[in-house]
Amino acid sequence: MPSYKLTYFNGRGLGEVSRLIFAAAGQKFEDVRYERDQFPAHKAEMPLGQMPVLEVDGVKLPQSSAIARYLAKEFHLAGKDNFDQAKVDAVVDTVGDSFKGFIPTIFEQDPVKKEEIKKKFFTDDLPKHLQNLETLGKLYGNGGHFFVGNQLTWADLYFYNFAQTYIEAEADCLNNFPWLKQNRAEVEKQPKIAEYLKQRPKTQF
Amino acid sequence: MPSYKLSYFNARGVAEVSRLIFAVAGEKFEDVRYERDQWPAHKDEMPLGQMPVLEVDGVKLPQSAAIARFLAKQFHLAGKDNFEQAQVDAVVDTIYDILKAWMPSRLEQDEAKKEALSKKFFGEELPKHLQNLETLGKLYSNGGHFFVGKQLTWADLLFYNFGQLLTEFEADCLNNFSWLQKNRAEVEKQPKIAEYLKNRPRTQF
Repeated sequence: MPSYKLTYFNGRGLGEVSRLIFAAAGQKFEDVRYERDQFPAHKAEMPLGQMPVLEVDGVKLPQSSAIARYLAKEFHLAGKDNFDQAKVDAVVDTVGDSFKGFIPTIFEQDPVKKEEIKKKFFTDDLPKHLQNLETLGKLYGNGGHFFVGNQLTWADLYFYNFAQTYIEAEADCLNNFPWLKQNRAEVEKQPKIAEYLKQRPKTQF
Repeated sequence: MPSYKLSYFNARGVAEVSRLIFAVAGEKFEDVRYERDQWPAHKDEMPLGQMPVLEVDGVKLPQSAAIARFLAKQFHLAGKDNFEQAQVDAVVDTIYDILKAWMPSRLEQDEAKKEALSKKFFGEELPKHLQNLETLGKLYSNGGHFFVGKQLTWADLLFYNFGQLLTEFEADCLNNFSWLQKNRAEVEKQPKIAEYLKNRPRTQF
């Protein structure tokens, strides 16, 4: 059994999907969390000067999606064969596409502009991506509630995590997307995930 | 043996890495290319209204990175085990980070702003990402010229492809990165790639 150490900020962000994967798999790992003012002292330890980084038996791996996909494959949460894994990757990339439009809403400082960008994102931009996600869920879900192949994969965990961020910014944003709401409800019901969600640190992001 | 059909514009773009993977693997596929004015008539055939799309025995897969990773795994160009595949994915994500950083200057319409953004990208941002790629290459390559594990993977093909685009815009941009230049030279030398590069359609992008 390898030893796993995940290093990230004390927040959900891009590290949380990996934490959800460890939780769903019931796998122990060292969950290193740095506050923002602690990170500069550790930046040089990271291969690309960024986090998250996963250390597996001492070898470091950067890039949040590469980390999550690796862990999902290790713990059989990535899709049952190569083609199912590709469908999972396509869903993940589509969630990632939705987040690109959200990023400016995080960093805009001017409150008037911020509100404008946010409104445009939730009214024009996000619904298209959510429609795309429902399309893929219905195409690949084999009639079930999970995105691919009637089983939980990291695509469901990935969407669960980023949708939480959207809902915290705009509570109604999934109201027109019952398939996606049902998918998130299924994820939350998984016993190991329900337990993890209850226990995990509460953070702003 | 499955049947493969790849649909994209008549261009290199984000589909070319998949064409390179087919070429290296010596695998036949239907290489569907639409000119820009042909595309609207086919948009509805694509799951997300976008290309590329890979059709495998009639089942459609969107998202260029998911497609490329699937094909690489099918043809043993993805890394020899799960952890090497993760290293390949980390290199791939670092290459896509370059594209993300480049997008604002590519999309900017105002000529003066475009010039300023482009200067900033090639002068400041790109060198940092190229440095990151060299860091990963030296970390994962086992002393060889390929990014991971002393063998050609799709990470090398992806960098080959986008390295070409970058040097078409800014011929000197790899001059300070001898490891990366050597990596591209090794890719070009592979017989099936050399043959493919000689014969492929010449397109602007």
